[in-house]
Amino acid sequence: MIQLAFSLVVGFALLIILYFFARGGKVSAEGSAQQLREARQTLDSLQFGLLPDDLVHRIFATDDLQYVRRAAPPQVQSLFLSERKDISLAWVRRIRGAIVDLMRFHRGHARLYAQLSLLMELLLALNFARLLMVCRFLEIALYLRGPYAAPGMVRTVAAAAGRVCTISEKSLVFLKTSQIDRLKNDPSHHGASV
Amino acid sequence: MDFPTNYTNVDQAADDLRRRSLAHMAAPLERMIYLGSTRDYNTGLYYHDGLSSRFSEMVACQALANCHREAYQQVLQSSIEDLVQQLDSYIQSTNSAPLDFIAAWKNLQPYRVAVPAETDPLAAEFLCSNVKIALSIWESHQGGRSRQPLNASLPQ
Repeated sequence: MIQLAFSLVVGFALLIILYFFARGGKVSAEGSAQQLREARQTLDSLQFGLLPDDLVHRIFATDDLQYVRRAAPPQVQSLFLSERKDISLAWVRRIRGAIVDLMRFHRGHARLYAQLSLLMELLLALNFARLLMVCRFLEIALYLRGPYAAPGMVRTVAAAAGRVCTISEKSLVFLKTSQIDRLKNDPSHHGASV
Repeated sequence: MDFPTNYTNVDQAADDLRRRSLAHMAAPLERMIYLGSTRDYNTGLYYHDGLSSRFSEMVACQALANCHREAYQQVLQSSIEDLVQQLDSYIQSTNSAPLDFIAAWKNLQPYRVAVPAETDPLAAEFLCSNVKIALSIWESHQGGRSRQPLNASLPQ
């Protein structure tokens, strides 16, 4: 009797697990297209919005600090440092957010579509982990010691984020807008076949 | 705002704009404010009568948008020191009373709406922050002087 009850419980548990697997495995073409589009947007936002050298250089430029110290009264100097701190914190948080989004996409969906090599996946995972850790350290440094606290770490974050973008882009070459649009418009295309 | 326009025409219109209307505006900040003001806030489309009559409305719109983005990028790349100079040059070109200008810009922050569409929010926020700081520095240099050239008052 106990054995029967035990078997029933195990069977029921297996059924529940199967149900959740089956439910999670359904990927609609429109949903996939949406996720691909979002991943592409995240990549674009990183590459063209947050990581251009000119922008990073300007946000953390010490010549601005030197000029403000030389030419502005103390209250304007405080305003400048406070504004730059907010901007630099926003910058590192946006980078971190974009990296988390990309990582989530890779973990959840990329393997369904792209033919990622194991080496490529490991490299990506390593870069993601390293970058997230450095972002967190940089955030703490900027919060505690201001926008000019860790120029070396800023360069490291920008370079590592650039590398992640490059690897990500290489591994997701299928993330071309034309293909995404075709996928979205053609209901016969299931995400997994891309 | 994707128009099926001829790129050559758009380039020609942009060159025309640079040679005529924008030629009188030395500072990128001034050009950005001016070009932002040619945009209809309800539709996001740019209008310029002279340019439209020489080309077409669509080409003029695209050319204005391109020049607006160009000016915005130049302001974004400007150092604070350069921005203070640009602000001074702009204020002189408007012939406004400095105190009125400062009050208006501090309250209304017109530079916020002068940012082109589809720009990265962080970059736009960075630009606004820089203009705000430049404005404060410019204001601090106004103590005791009315309309002297800015270079004369800057600490060397």
